[in-house]
Amino acid sequence: MSPEQQLAALRADVDVLAAATPETVLGSLPNWDSLAILLVVSHFEHRHQQTITGTQVRACRTVADLLALLPHKP
Amino acid sequence: MQSSLTHVRLAGIAVTVGSVVRDFQAEGLAAGQDPAQLARLAKAVGLRERRVAAPGVTALDLCADAAARLLDEAAVDATSLDAIIFVTQTPDHPQPNNASLLHAKLGLSKAAAAYDLSLGCSGWVYGLHQAAMLCGAGAARVLVCAGDTLSRVIDPADPATAPLFGDAGSAMLVEKTGEATSMHFVFGTDGTGASAIIVPTGGSRQPEGAGPSACLRMDGAAVYEFALREVPPAVAGVLKLAGWTPEATDHLVLHQANRFVVSSVARKCGFPEDKVPMNLVEQFGNQSSASIPAAMAHACADALQGSRSRLVVCGFGVGFSWGAAAFEAGPMVVAPTLTFPR
Repeated sequence: MSPEQQLAALRADVDVLAAATPETVLGSLPNWDSLAILLVVSHFEHRHQQTITGTQVRACRTVADLLALLPHKP
Repeated sequence: MQSSLTHVRLAGIAVTVGSVVRDFQAEGLAAGQDPAQLARLAKAVGLRERRVAAPGVTALDLCADAAARLLDEAAVDATSLDAIIFVTQTPDHPQPNNASLLHAKLGLSKAAAAYDLSLGCSGWVYGLHQAAMLCGAGAARVLVCAGDTLSRVIDPADPATAPLFGDAGSAMLVEKTGEATSMHFVFGTDGTGASAIIVPTGGSRQPEGAGPSACLRMDGAAVYEFALREVPPAVAGVLKLAGWTPEATDHLVLHQANRFVVSSVARKCGFPEDKVPMNLVEQFGNQSSASIPAAMAHACADALQGSRSRLVVCGFGVGFSWGAAAFEAGPMVVAPTLTFPR
């Protein structure tokens, strides 16, 4: 999956990231909340077969940081 | 731990639910929550409505109703029961236990054993295992009741827990049989996660409690991660013990935490959604230890009443505790799910 495809998949699965770019600051999104974090964990689990934790997601500042959790960085 | 038991069968189930319907969006709007956020939660998590117990009705009442209806439908005399096991975390009293109270209500023999198991969402599987073990150790017939009124220990102002829980009580009959059928179990516990689902006060450690400290607190993300981490290996474990595959299994019945969790865990277990009941929770809420029999009665009743089905079940939650079982069931009694009081 290319970096562009990875971003598109993330935007499709996590509602609050529907219009996000790699530079989007997660904390600036109005609905960046516990549900959004669950949706990110679920996205990694089912799209990438990669188990991540909510703690890892909370430590990310931007969408690029989220994508950097994947084994092959964008 | 793993366990396989033979010459025992599940003979019947019944479920009774609370009579008060709570609408998720209406409750949220009344509490002043943002309509758009409510719609987002409803869509993503699968929150629509739940059924809670009427004032004064306890888990004991709900289970007593389910048990009486089950015994009636199965034409079983209460005096023929060798034991009664009550799975709950919301008993009527700290002492005596609910099993003794229900023993009296149903009119069991003085020779019957009666005890409680303090377990939540994994409890139905533990109750089934306890009953099966008793049947392997001399009992002919055991009644297991499992239920909670978790809506009573929820902080109404906590959006992470308030909309999730419904109240229900269940009953199941487990019998010794001459057939060489087997039940396979896998159990596990991760006590390091115990604080992720907790009612901090009201026990001996902190007897005095009021307000939010006396209510159930839950770290939803930690619970979700726990479920994804522990349930799929447990399900794979019982499949291996039984020698089955997902394709050769008729139903995977998971604890009905919410649709998001059930769907996500089922996918990781390798089961197609058409084998996994998951719509019930949108109507009734998370019913704790009664959710597995409730899902069986809701989605598998025709199959279980008419023929033999291969079931895999898994409960998971407070503790962190989990239990999975694989067994064949049916034809068996599946009483209609009813409200109490009616």
